[in-house]
Amino acid sequence: MSIKSSRVLRLKRLVRWGGAVATGTVLLAACGSSSSSSSSATTVPKPTITLVTNSWEGSLANNVVAQYVIEKDLHYPVKLLDLAEIPAWPATAAGSVSAVLEVWGHYNHYQTYVVGNHEVINAGLEGPTGNIGWYIPTYLLKAHPELATWQGVKADWKLFVTPQTAPQGEFLDGAPSYVTNDAALVSTLGINLKVVYAGSEAAQLSQIETAYKAKKPIIFYWYTPQYFNHVYSFSQVALPPFTQACAKLPAAQIDCAYPPYYLYKIMNSKLPTTAPAVAKFIQAFNWTSADQNSVSYDMAVNKLSGAAAAAKFVNSHQSLVQSWLNGSPTPKKAPVLGT
Amino acid sequence: MTMLAEPNEQVELAAKPELPSDRRTTKLKVSKLAKAPWSGLFVLFLAIVISAIYSGFSSGFPTSWVPNITTWFNSLANWITIHQNTAPFFVHFLTPIGNWLGNSVNALTNLLNWLSWPGVIAVFAGTAVLAGKWRVGIFVVIAMIYFGVIGLWSASMSTLALMSVAVLISVVLGVPLGIAAASSRVVEEAIRPVLDLMQMLPAYAYLVPIVLLFGIGNSGGIIATVIYAIAPVIRLTMLGIHSVPYETVEAGKSFGSDRWQLLRKVQLPLALKPIVLGINQVIMMALSVVVIASLVGTGGLGDPILQALNIVDVGDALTAGVAIVLMAMILDRIVSAVAENVGRNVSTKGQRVLISPRNLRILVGGLVIAAILLGHLIGGGGTFPSGLSLSLSNPVNTFLSFLQRHLYHFSSIPIVGGTSNLSSFTTLEILNPLTRILGDIPWWLAIFGTGVIGYLVAGWRRAVLVCVGVAAIGVLGMWTDASVTLAQVLVALVMCVAIGIPLGICAYWWPPLEKVLRPILDILQTMPAFVYLIPVVLFFSVGNMAGVAASFVYALAPAVRLTNLGLRQIKVDMIEAGNSFGATRFQMLRKVELPAARSTIILAVNQTIMLVLAEVIVAGLVGAGGLGYDVVVGLGRDEFGLGLSAGLAIVVLGIVFDRLTQGRPAGRRG
Repeated sequence: MSIKSSRVLRLKRLVRWGGAVATGTVLLAACGSSSSSSSSATTVPKPTITLVTNSWEGSLANNVVAQYVIEKDLHYPVKLLDLAEIPAWPATAAGSVSAVLEVWGHYNHYQTYVVGNHEVINAGLEGPTGNIGWYIPTYLLKAHPELATWQGVKADWKLFVTPQTAPQGEFLDGAPSYVTNDAALVSTLGINLKVVYAGSEAAQLSQIETAYKAKKPIIFYWYTPQYFNHVYSFSQVALPPFTQACAKLPAAQIDCAYPPYYLYKIMNSKLPTTAPAVAKFIQAFNWTSADQNSVSYDMAVNKLSGAAAAAKFVNSHQSLVQSWLNGSPTPKKAPVLGT
Repeated sequence: MTMLAEPNEQVELAAKPELPSDRRTTKLKVSKLAKAPWSGLFVLFLAIVISAIYSGFSSGFPTSWVPNITTWFNSLANWITIHQNTAPFFVHFLTPIGNWLGNSVNALTNLLNWLSWPGVIAVFAGTAVLAGKWRVGIFVVIAMIYFGVIGLWSASMSTLALMSVAVLISVVLGVPLGIAAASSRVVEEAIRPVLDLMQMLPAYAYLVPIVLLFGIGNSGGIIATVIYAIAPVIRLTMLGIHSVPYETVEAGKSFGSDRWQLLRKVQLPLALKPIVLGINQVIMMALSVVVIASLVGTGGLGDPILQALNIVDVGDALTAGVAIVLMAMILDRIVSAVAENVGRNVSTKGQRVLISPRNLRILVGGLVIAAILLGHLIGGGGTFPSGLSLSLSNPVNTFLSFLQRHLYHFSSIPIVGGTSNLSSFTTLEILNPLTRILGDIPWWLAIFGTGVIGYLVAGWRRAVLVCVGVAAIGVLGMWTDASVTLAQVLVALVMCVAIGIPLGICAYWWPPLEKVLRPILDILQTMPAFVYLIPVVLFFSVGNMAGVAASFVYALAPAVRLTNLGLRQIKVDMIEAGNSFGATRFQMLRKVELPAARSTIILAVNQTIMLVLAEVIVAGLVGAGGLGYDVVVGLGRDEFGLGLSAGLAIVVLGIVFDRLTQGRPAGRRG
């Protein structure tokens, strides 16, 4: 009993101490927050602008540059938020995210939030055109020039046999959130390849890097703009040209190349009233694939911090930055079905 | 590091209260079989044969029997999407809860920033010192300086705030739930399957609806974390209260305590130790979803890992991963230290003290205030000076490519070949054929076979349960993908057992090995799997072998630890008896030690399977396909239904395996 009662006593003491500490910290916090609010009351409070960073480096490149300009020239605080593509839509609709500067397709979400309930605004084109397709390392194309087209791949499928897919060849697909028709394509075009889904872009990139260093054959789903294309040299395999008729086919019967993706920006519908200058900037923001890749490259390969890479870009592209601050909105283009 | 292992081991043991002591094990007893009630099994057999004939003995699960569950889930998600800003239940109930939680995390983050980095370090180290743990205090100081030196101080503080609130909510909800479950059989039976579901359903599968209902950022992140991490504290509170000796409770009653007094003065204080173990386990589980929470915008230490993955920079990912491991250790040790201090007997305290407790408190208080003042003097908004940034990126990446160059290719290692060879061999000779065989087993035979195994090892009630489970995988429409996953789970399990159990035995024979293994196993278990996602691909190529490798790394720990623990727990007199008969070391192992440690080793297998299944998602991220990939696609491509169906199939697989490896249930739980 004595041990037990002493335990109870100590438990009580702990609760009392804990209570005292908690009260103390709450009081301190109250002091802290009141002092900070009184100091900020002298300036006009500006809402924090939240930009979504998706799981590819280009998306971060857009954001660090936008953050730099918005903070330096428009004096709004900016927060970059890592978020998966799908949650980014309801978050932009709800206003917890201000804008997404690079959207690939997302026809269905566009119908729900932009066309449907108007909670999200199409902020115009970003500039680069997303080019999805089949790629091989350039050293492989040099050794096998026929691989420039899908017919060549069809003839040379044996090059790509791996233990994973044996006796078939392997076609390496990437992040599951990206739209792919590759399983349909290999079957409709009658190519003896089996699609392996890497499950994440990191896994796909590691696999490509390993093959590249050993100069082994590999064929994979890839896209531009992507800074990785400046680290390694890839060549695109020509697929049957994209047609509207083909896009309307059921997913399993698609037999043509991917449509061009006109990358676009979206923002919360209330942003033009809560932060008009920022809304104007986001609508005017546009650059080229090369611009984006240079910033990505500086961060990923040269290991510059986001702010340093942005500063470097902004300082060498003053007139472009001025056109974002004073220019007119970029043209709009809604995503098409199947993207 | 050593302290981390101790509670874990006990939790692993304690978390399975149903596991019998020694008698009721999975060993097949022929004499028992002869007396068995075959009638139950016969009915089962008949039911399966009839349905097999009905389906025309098809080998794949009959598609016409798969209801459109995926579509139902999808329309549910669509309904939520449409109504998230209009339905009163969402707008006036769920959204405010989400906002309140999010705001409390933000408030705590602000408080931590206000304390400034010297202040935070002083508060945490001071708590440890006040609890009488100087060494923990020193560890906390070093670990927290690491957060600053790698340039992730503010990210660490957001994660710390999120974790603290998540753990607090888990305790505030979990302890009463555990008490309720301990005092009512009905509540207990109702709560058990829910706990299984919460613990085994991959968080990936329900992120989208959580974001729709509670919003992104800390609001959604905290809900996802609590759902995943709350189960252990409920289970262990339940266990703790159950384990209070009957006589003690009776004594309390005889003194005239009412139910509330009994709970407060007798049961809770005596159940404190298991409850604290439960809290420690909550901390570990909560920290294991930090990276996943970052996918819904919580920020914190998950962000640098996700960003490092985008640029295939293992060094950067590891730098942040180590911070997560350290965070887990800090919280774990402080909670343990404080709890130990509370539970300690007063009379043994106070020996050999340099400073009286009162003076120590004044000293620590003074130091904290001084540290806060110092932090404010330095300025910089409370974050660590950025000039000191250190990165492991370069050395780690250089080392990794060195390793890959020398281990991957054919000629790297004599006779065996490189890891690429190992990977091709396992894929071609083991994984691919096994996947094919499992996929080709007629569904009715699979159900019947599982039923027979279930009957033999765990009695016929469990046999019915596992049959229903296997059938449910078919009904969920996951038959083929489940066979892909199952093949990998089995291979990973065999690898863990084949390497883990001998390692555990070696560490028992030669204790210094155990000292070396402990920190390594701790790190393997707390390191976010996202960190070693790239290395497994570098060594084993995208595919099912990469998935197996990732699962192996993560699930090795319990096999080693529990084998070791089981052997160490053998009573001395048993070993003495063996020695006096002149048994050799191997005879001893085979005839005395392994049989005595059998139940713990079976538990090791059980825990290994659970961890392998928890890693199925990561396998999906490195190209292993199967259920894990479906769950990842569910989140990535807005196919909530597919993700949830696959997630549920993982849960069902887990329950089937768990029930099969738990052995014969004790009386009432059959």
